[in-house]
Amino acid sequence: MTDRSFTLILIGLLVLALIASMAIGAFLFSPAQMFRFAGERLGWLAPNPAEALDGNVFFVLRLPRVVLCGLTGATLGLSGAVMQGLFRNPIVEPGLAGTSAGAALGAASVFVLGTQYMNFLSPLGTAAVPLMAFAGAFAATMFVWKLSTRFHHTNVFTLLLAGIAVNAMCSAGTGFLSYIARDPQARSIAFWNLGTFTTADWHRTTIVAVVFVACLAPMLRHGKSLNALMLGEENAGYLGIDPEKLIFRLLLINTAMVAAATAMVGVIAFVGLVVPHLLRLMRASDYNFLLPASALLGALLMEVIDVVARVIIAPAELPIGIITALIGAPFFLWILFRQRWGRLDG
Amino acid sequence: MDDAAVILDGVSRRAGGVQILHDVTLGFAAGRFNVILGPNGAGKSTLIRIAAGHIARLEHGTVSYWDAPLDTFEADALARRRAVLSQQIEMAFPLAVEDVVMMGRYPHYRGVPSARDREIVREALALVEMTERRHQLYPTLSGGERQKTQLARVLAQVWQEEGTLEQTVLFLDEPTASLDLHFQLQLLATARTFLRRGATIVASLHDLNLAFDFGDRFFVMEGGRLVHQADAPEDMPKELIERVWRVKADPIAAGGRTRWYFRV
Repeated sequence: MTDRSFTLILIGLLVLALIASMAIGAFLFSPAQMFRFAGERLGWLAPNPAEALDGNVFFVLRLPRVVLCGLTGATLGLSGAVMQGLFRNPIVEPGLAGTSAGAALGAASVFVLGTQYMNFLSPLGTAAVPLMAFAGAFAATMFVWKLSTRFHHTNVFTLLLAGIAVNAMCSAGTGFLSYIARDPQARSIAFWNLGTFTTADWHRTTIVAVVFVACLAPMLRHGKSLNALMLGEENAGYLGIDPEKLIFRLLLINTAMVAAATAMVGVIAFVGLVVPHLLRLMRASDYNFLLPASALLGALLMEVIDVVARVIIAPAELPIGIITALIGAPFFLWILFRQRWGRLDG
Repeated sequence: MDDAAVILDGVSRRAGGVQILHDVTLGFAAGRFNVILGPNGAGKSTLIRIAAGHIARLEHGTVSYWDAPLDTFEADALARRRAVLSQQIEMAFPLAVEDVVMMGRYPHYRGVPSARDREIVREALALVEMTERRHQLYPTLSGGERQKTQLARVLAQVWQEEGTLEQTVLFLDEPTASLDLHFQLQLLATARTFLRRGATIVASLHDLNLAFDFGDRFFVMEGGRLVHQADAPEDMPKELIERVWRVKADPIAAGGRTRWYFRV
């Protein structure tokens, strides 16, 4: 099978997952019903008053959630692939490298302190949350990067330790904020540490969509450079690439993308770890294939997990981060032990 | 030095408080197989890194290619005319052999490789006898096969038709280290065929006899200094070899040429 047909299969599966995710939940919608809703919105069909409530539920609650979920999954999958390429290490992902926790801290600081103590942010309006998330995420990621990468080589153990330390500092900060916060804010922060799509609306979804689309194109153009980086920075340089510029630029784009998603849905760990690794096991590490495929598989996986989160303890909902951690943590240990024993020939 | 492809003029290099190169001035002869010789720590690898442009900020000295200063070349333009084979390259992720070789064509195309790029990759793989392993993943190869794959990659990078007028430079940093005898001879012979394709070759080698079999020009480094240059193996005096490498060297006749037998 060629990379192209594999990618087409992923697209097909993603479409199926999107339809399933739109249909399944507290309200069940049949495909025919969803077509009628779409027809009514587009003005092709006369509105049916008997279904007005269902139509509203679909457009106001279900659809933005499905779209946000797919965008978040694509963001995390793509981010995992890019970060693993930059650190030249298969255990890196935004959850490990502090990107997500830093973003959460930045966003939480606006939620809790925003109106009273951070007046300088008020001209930013609703953009303050994603912008502060970006600042937090970038600071945390650069910190981990600088600590773990010495003499152009990433040390796995320093990377793990730096990741643990930065994540702990950021969660301590977020925990402190939720402690001093008044009740409604506090509950939303606590829930948000595990990631959730329940708060999805068109406003949030649009922000994540705009940032994702803006970041996707420059990311996808770097397939060749990320491949060349596998040879090490010196040899990538001999192929005409400036590794330092490349790494800084991609970390910046990557942080923007992850920060936007994290500011809206909270920290969802391990998706960025599992997705590129599955693709490497099934195919190979050619980044020209891996980048688009990671975005597609990330979205696909996230839709499936979100459907599970919606139905498994219905009518209640499980925070999505619980499921991703449950699947991802053992996976992480498995990769780590394989790497520890020097068998990376997967 | 009028026929020199690459000229180093008064190059010095200090790193970590140690003077690695002292005022090195030399010219690598165009269209020739230039060999850098010297014991461990003589500065051979540093010399190659500087000549290849990896270490760009020099306290003293300049590097120029075909009479133009190195820093006047655009990164991509330089990469199309200069390739470097480093010692043992590890890759953290699995990539098929042909995808590794295709990296050599990266400076030549944007977006998708052309039919010609693919053809060159096929020819480079055939040249190093790796055609049958082109779909195999790089981390599963033996040391020798990895080195052949990397050689195919750098050959693809400076690939030219035979008899071309455009000049290229190919650096090989201890290319034969950890290879068995057959691979060593095959690698150097394959590289040598690139002299006909407009390439100037600069290789650092440890094995003097191997160097004398393949080289045209010899540069002897000792303690960061260029201590001797020779145009033929016969111009390498016994006293110099014995002093620089701290061995006893006896000439032996083999295949009509003089070679050396070494003892401590």
